[in-house]
Amino acid sequence: MTALLDNFWVLLALKVLIIAAVVPGVALVFIFAELKISAHMQSRIGPYFAGGRWGWAQPLADGIKFMQKEDLVPEDADRPVFKFAPMVVLMGTLAVFVIVPFSPKLIVRDLDIGVFYALAAGSVTTIGVLMAGWSSANKYSLMGGLRAAAQLIAYELPLVLAVVGVVIQAGTMSMNGIVVAQIEPVFHIGEVAIRLPFLLQGQVIGFAIFMIAALAELNRTPFDMPIAESELVMGYLTEYSGIRFTMFFLAEYAGMFSMSAIAATLFLGGYYLPGVPEGALDVLGPLILMAKVTLLVFIIIWLRWTFPRLREDQLQSLAWRWLIPLALANIAVTAVAKVVL
Amino acid sequence: MTESPPEAPAPSAAAGLAERFGKMVGALSATGDFGTARIRVSPDRWVETHRTLAEHLPFFSFLSAIDWAGEVAVGDPPEGDVEERFEVFTRLSDVSKGEGVIVSTDLSKEDPRLATLVEVFGGANWHEREAHEMFGIFFEGHPHLENLYLPDGFEGHPLRKTFPLLSREVKPWPGMVDVEDMPTTENVEAGEPEAWEEGE
Amino acid sequence: MTDQHLLAMHHSEVQVSVELETPDVTLNLGPQHPSTHGVLRLIAKVDGEVINEVEPVIGYMHRGYEKLAEVRTYPQIVALVSRIDWVSGYASEVPLMVAVERLMDIVPPDRAQYIRLVLTEMARISSHLVFLSSYPLELGAPTPLMHALRERERILDLIEMVTGGRFHPNFNRVGGVKPAAGAGSNQKKVVQDLPEGFLGQTLAAIQDVVGVCDDMEDLVLGNEIFLERTKGVGIIPVDKALAYGVSGPNLRASGVRFDIRKTDDYLPYDGFDFDIPAGENGDCFDRYWVRLQEIREASKIIRQAVETMPSGDLQAKVPRIIKVPKGEVYVRAENPKGEMGYHVVSEGGRGPYRLKIRSASFSNLSVLPWLLKGQLVPDIIAILGSLDFVLGDVDR
Repeated sequence: MTALLDNFWVLLALKVLIIAAVVPGVALVFIFAELKISAHMQSRIGPYFAGGRWGWAQPLADGIKFMQKEDLVPEDADRPVFKFAPMVVLMGTLAVFVIVPFSPKLIVRDLDIGVFYALAAGSVTTIGVLMAGWSSANKYSLMGGLRAAAQLIAYELPLVLAVVGVVIQAGTMSMNGIVVAQIEPVFHIGEVAIRLPFLLQGQVIGFAIFMIAALAELNRTPFDMPIAESELVMGYLTEYSGIRFTMFFLAEYAGMFSMSAIAATLFLGGYYLPGVPEGALDVLGPLILMAKVTLLVFIIIWLRWTFPRLREDQLQSLAWRWLIPLALANIAVTAVAKVVL
Repeated sequence: MTESPPEAPAPSAAAGLAERFGKMVGALSATGDFGTARIRVSPDRWVETHRTLAEHLPFFSFLSAIDWAGEVAVGDPPEGDVEERFEVFTRLSDVSKGEGVIVSTDLSKEDPRLATLVEVFGGANWHEREAHEMFGIFFEGHPHLENLYLPDGFEGHPLRKTFPLLSREVKPWPGMVDVEDMPTTENVEAGEPEAWEEGE
Repeated sequence: MTDQHLLAMHHSEVQVSVELETPDVTLNLGPQHPSTHGVLRLIAKVDGEVINEVEPVIGYMHRGYEKLAEVRTYPQIVALVSRIDWVSGYASEVPLMVAVERLMDIVPPDRAQYIRLVLTEMARISSHLVFLSSYPLELGAPTPLMHALRERERILDLIEMVTGGRFHPNFNRVGGVKPAAGAGSNQKKVVQDLPEGFLGQTLAAIQDVVGVCDDMEDLVLGNEIFLERTKGVGIIPVDKALAYGVSGPNLRASGVRFDIRKTDDYLPYDGFDFDIPAGENGDCFDRYWVRLQEIREASKIIRQAVETMPSGDLQAKVPRIIKVPKGEVYVRAENPKGEMGYHVVSEGGRGPYRLKIRSASFSNLSVLPWLLKGQLVPDIIAILGSLDFVLGDVDR
């Protein structure tokens, strides 16, 4: 058994399978959570019948419904690109999970440049969005795709810069290394070692910038201009139907999952919770991480149902005039503190 | 209907208003029946009239037209003889005291042409397009005199009295098959007291 | 590739202009589009996200009411006009009936006038609540919709309680208000009045409506992003507003403190204490704010009307057959959308010789090509929504 697990390919296949099964499953749960949370915020009940209790099977039913629908491709569309685009989006989202550490051992590959990889893989989704917008032969789609691209350029920078603070503080770009750095005691009060996540070690601004930029990367309200159903109908999704639409839909929630997982790892201590013995992390780690992810996902959903949408130019000015200078200042302060302290 | 036709509620105020504005623009006539001040001007003074009135009554309410015809394809014909003509009318009002006046002019049916008001009131644009397609009146100098409501290539001018209402031609008015027959005009006019029946 | 093709390619290359020009893209919004409130079509010429020209195309909802009115009797027309602006159907009926009553020299009893007034103000509240809820939705915030529509439901229930209809009450008669309680002899037996408990329930509902106004003020007007999107966007200066016939809340948002309820006498508003809220800048924010305040004022009016509701008949004495003497009359009313007027030309028949319907949304929308020039694509929706039009009211 262990011999089998030591085989690189077997292990890889197993890990890929787990991610391919777990991530969409979790995404379904988040879809359900969004349905229910938005309903209660709007004094509605939300899904109620599907599955019997609380309408838990609603996302499944939706998924099956989508799959039954005809897979339409517009006549003037660039067919191969059009068909390939949702796969690129989903692929980019899933690829991020390679470096998310669910526990000290439960990680597909602990890359030395893990953080860098996560951000790079995450932005691949935008290429898929641009492909979808371009190939649909629809002006709304095109505008949506271009907006997504403009948004990516504007928000990738603050996202990366916000992470740099953490990287400086941890002294590593490995995701596991960053979690370990947060397990290190910051200081001692008597015998008790005080262990703090980076959020509480002074990365508050970094965390806020990261979350704002992540919302923009995910095209979630208040930064959902690429979709903007009141202006662009459905943006780059306008011409999609059936299974391909489902892939976009799933990718959105999987993206929420991956972004929240990265944020939780970088800023909230990942799979570690102060007080939990390190030996138990192998078992409890995934649960702890999921709890943190759920909290962040809840905040993302909460924001969506509270805020209107910004305008495209306002979004750009927010990124270039506020977030990037702030992030740079954050890096400077972090670097100075790292050297001085 | 009754011997004494009902009088207008407050003729004096509206009549005074019509008189005042009528004098200002040299109107052909000025009336204030039924609390509605109306002045009539000649077509060649149309734009000038509005330019003068715009200083006092800056709010452009609407522009429309009436097709005065002795013979009609739909509805009831007018009582007695009417002069065959198009009457174009606008309503202007102010936004402080609530004063307003209806300005009208008569156009011949053969060649209904009138200068556009777009220069004076930007809002006249759409109203004139509507009057153009509905009545076939040409507004000279209008920047974009095309159909507003009707599809391109629509034939005829629907609000002219000669334009038949096709649904009525094809199918009689469903209101005719009512539970109770509508009382005819004759028996109402014959029995005067029943006509003014209790309203419960 | 043949020589001809090569030649054609060569020619096309020669013809390329040296100057770099980006041709405008024609963006077609509607008639099926989430934010055009039905079947409005906008042909926008855009350069990137900047609009160079917009041409609204209307008429998809044109039902020809002015022609249809010519073949109907006055009581039948009431059923038509409540369908002009279906968001506040009741309010459209009143000025037509007042016009006919003026021509016939009939004065409805006080109670009928008060009921008309209460229902008109309810229609105003229901119309403005639709605006207050749908406008944030157009800016991307779906939650206020649910909160405002919840209270609107109570208002619609009350309107239904009295008139039997939620959108199209068809409740006005010449000389008063009264639902037709069956035809023929049955009509004489049934005496109908306001349903029991209506006044009490109205007061309770009004209380909740004001409550939801407070919520909206916190939720929407206090929202930074909402302010960013609406402040200084889509400014209509007063002179443009007047020349285009922009009326109602849109005009008041530009700073004109004018309300037909205060100047005309189509309903007994002069006995009531209410303010005319007016904006300062005439931007989208002011248009939202004015409508929010108008709900409060309408609530004040309803409360006063309910407290001083006179007793008496619902209907003046009118002939069995409504025949209107010869004459022309124009009666306008302050409808939720703006100035709603009917120019009735009577030639002594049972129906009008000509009925000109002056609807507010038509004029309010006509300012759009001027207003949208040079704006951004996202602001099309922000500005369009803030004008609060209904396609039925535009097309008639």
